[in-house]
Amino acid sequence: MLANIGLAALTVSFLLGIYATAVSAYGGWRGDARGLALAESARNATLLVVPFLTISVLVVTYALYSLDFRLAYVAGVSSRAMSPFLRLTALWGGQAGSLLFWSWLMAGFVATVLWRKWEADHELMPYFIAVAMLTTTFFIGLVVFITNPFAQLWHLTGSGEIVEAVFRPAGAIAFVPPDGNGLNPLLRHFGMIGHPPTTYLGFTGFVIPFAFAISALLTGKSREDQWIRTSRRWTLVAWIFLSIGLVLGGRWAYDVLGWGGFWGWDPVENAMLMPWLTGTAFLHSVMITEKRGMLKVWSVILIILTYALALFGTFITRTGVISSVHAFGKTALGPVFFVFIAVTFFGSIWLLLKRLDTLKTEHELESFLSREAAFLFQNLLFLAITFVVFLGTVFPLLSEAVTGTKITVGPPYFQKATGPLFGALVLMMATAPLFAWRKQSAGRLGRAIFTPFIGSILIAGVWGYTHRMHPGSYFALWVASFVVIAILFEFYKGIRARMKRGENPLVALARLVGRNHRRYGGYVIHLGVMMIGLAFIGDIYFQDETQRALARGESMTLGEYELRFDDLEMYPGSDGREVLEATTSLFRDGEFVANLNPRRDFFVVQQQPMTIPDVYTTAAEDIYVLLVGWEEVGLTSSTFKIYRNPLILWAWVGGLVLILGTGIAVWPEARRKKQTSYVLKPTTRAATAARPATGD
Amino acid sequence: MAEMIRKREPETVPQEGVATQERTLSLPQGETGAEQSARRWLSTILVYAAVAGLLLLLGWGLVKVNSGQVDSGLAPDFTITGFEGETITLSELRGRPVIINFWASWCPPCREEAPYLEATWRKYKDLGVVFIGVDYADTESKALEYIEEFDITYFNGPDLGTRISQAYRMDGVPETYFVAKNGELRGVHVGPLYPPKLDEKIEELLAEEYP
Repeated sequence: MLANIGLAALTVSFLLGIYATAVSAYGGWRGDARGLALAESARNATLLVVPFLTISVLVVTYALYSLDFRLAYVAGVSSRAMSPFLRLTALWGGQAGSLLFWSWLMAGFVATVLWRKWEADHELMPYFIAVAMLTTTFFIGLVVFITNPFAQLWHLTGSGEIVEAVFRPAGAIAFVPPDGNGLNPLLRHFGMIGHPPTTYLGFTGFVIPFAFAISALLTGKSREDQWIRTSRRWTLVAWIFLSIGLVLGGRWAYDVLGWGGFWGWDPVENAMLMPWLTGTAFLHSVMITEKRGMLKVWSVILIILTYALALFGTFITRTGVISSVHAFGKTALGPVFFVFIAVTFFGSIWLLLKRLDTLKTEHELESFLSREAAFLFQNLLFLAITFVVFLGTVFPLLSEAVTGTKITVGPPYFQKATGPLFGALVLMMATAPLFAWRKQSAGRLGRAIFTPFIGSILIAGVWGYTHRMHPGSYFALWVASFVVIAILFEFYKGIRARMKRGENPLVALARLVGRNHRRYGGYVIHLGVMMIGLAFIGDIYFQDETQRALARGESMTLGEYELRFDDLEMYPGSDGREVLEATTSLFRDGEFVANLNPRRDFFVVQQQPMTIPDVYTTAAEDIYVLLVGWEEVGLTSSTFKIYRNPLILWAWVGGLVLILGTGIAVWPEARRKKQTSYVLKPTTRAATAARPATGD
Repeated sequence: MAEMIRKREPETVPQEGVATQERTLSLPQGETGAEQSARRWLSTILVYAAVAGLLLLLGWGLVKVNSGQVDSGLAPDFTITGFEGETITLSELRGRPVIINFWASWCPPCREEAPYLEATWRKYKDLGVVFIGVDYADTESKALEYIEEFDITYFNGPDLGTRISQAYRMDGVPETYFVAKNGELRGVHVGPLYPPKLDEKIEELLAEEYP
């Protein structure tokens, strides 16, 4: 049977993983020619893990598609009522399948890194393989031994119980349920194709910079710079996937969860945000490390912290230690995972402390008015926000451990505690790129920020004068417009300089960006982040809502909008749901703008209702309508809740801009330019060469 | 200037738990070797302690999540107010076997066991057995419809603030806990009850001696 092939392939990949880990670690330890040959063999084993895991993944996917209910996993997450599309996505719809998918992605990342040529940092390869494959093999091991997707259902003839086991228990006969339970209704959404895979790519991708950092520390190569450049590129890959995952997750929550917003500070959202924050901090600090040889310890800590937070997030999601909307259900995963995390955390710290002397800074901070200082400060802000989010996330656990009562902190805590920090961070975003390296004259800096500063004050002032709302909103708007103007002004200055040489504006823009991908790609990313920031400002300060029961033909108003309840009907929907759908008309200033159909789907088998909003979107705001109640008899009256969500559209546009910016930033530069772009002033190099002697 | 880097970081980093050692990076030449190593030791210990603390917390949470239902020892005491306003306190029921059943009107398996529960209650109520139905995360109107539908006559009340289900570390509905005459738990049944499980359990509980 096909499942046996999947199981066999999974087992082989596990054994290959163990082989690769052990042999590469031994090869690295030997360090001689024989050691390198062993590492080469470990590399081949690692490359082989991917096809074997692919077979496993394909078998599970096919079983889900063809509804092979002999497999417990298939019976758990697939069902006859589900569309083929949802059956395929059910691969990551439950614990066992998603861990297999996770391992597959991680192995894919590791293999991709090994596939390329290892010229510059080949000495790191043995330990890189050892660290990366230890982690990957751990996850494959979880799939093999703890949540095996190839486990079948068995009927114990003696006690009549149904059990799950990979091999037939004594005296049992195979049990094949007539239909499966199907996916959790919340997962039956188009977003299932986007959010989980991108999130997993983001999380698993962080193993690469981590493995580089650990192997650099192990070999003492952390003294050199090459590995950190390689790490930067891979962090960027993981980071962009995590960013996309975050945006898609927000979109999904907005479309499905029916709480009117896109970010709820749920523990799992936080678990994803924290590595994103530290990863972002790393992507900034690494620039200082690359160009000035400073903040090395800082960069290494950020890599380790990012990976640790990714593991932490995975741990709390998959073991249910902190309850959230993403609960995976109880499994025996906890203890093993706990040991793995403990070993990883303590091992990394021990190694880092042991190798601190290899991470000496090559330059001292010369002035607080310098790009180095600005980046350091901005990094501290990232860490402060991470800490605040971390505290809020573990607070239920902490409070229960200390006082015996579980206290969950809600969005107000997160908003109040992170709001000012984010504000300061955004200010840094506007100004830090304008700082010069090493030392900045205050006058020059003043001239550079003068125009954006005045422009943003004007915008915020005019807005504040015309819309007398929450004072915090003026500040938020000022900060946001400051950044946007500062960035656009940078583009303007660059283009203007080129136009003076006779280029037309479009050519000037293309060449400007082409000459310095990283810088202008970074600016575009900043613009995208600010668009998402706008959506947050709208959500926190300007959201408006109202709720009313309406009879057919009646209307309710929210500001200049009017919603008329036209009809309500009930019909059986696809994949086992009862749909109750309202028809309403939305008018703006008396003019018809859209028909909106908010729904309430009830999943009969799971006994789970789902409130699906309908939304009217413009660039300025969303009108988000929920059907929250109705009269059961005759369906003549319904209760609607309307949210006015300003600027939400910009969160999604911002996500796209972010991707665009990252694309620009990672676009390979022409070779000749690449070599010159990192060269420092020769004088500082000479000064550095003399330092280590006194430092030790 | 190294001073500046060193001093700025400790303010925000140590709580994170992974990162206090930066300041050993470039110690000013003014410090003596002893001071240096003392500082290094202190920060090292702090880092390890923070990580150990976090792991301890996670480990504790894990144990709690995985420990499953309370199914032995003295049954956690509680007072519950029924849908009709009357109040029951578990510890006041010593000398009588108590069956605590967690249920909800939205729970299909609960419907499977409801007739059996009611029939068993009618069979044993004159022998001093107490049934307590704890309605978990439900609305009162739906719960009352459910009680009427199955003509349930034993005591039922809502689990306000899910306090009782937390105390018993209940996992889902339905779950049934068996309390002996002396107030100790004699096991838990997860999922719907079918004959003759409940009868057998009650017979066992009735057979126990109580002074």
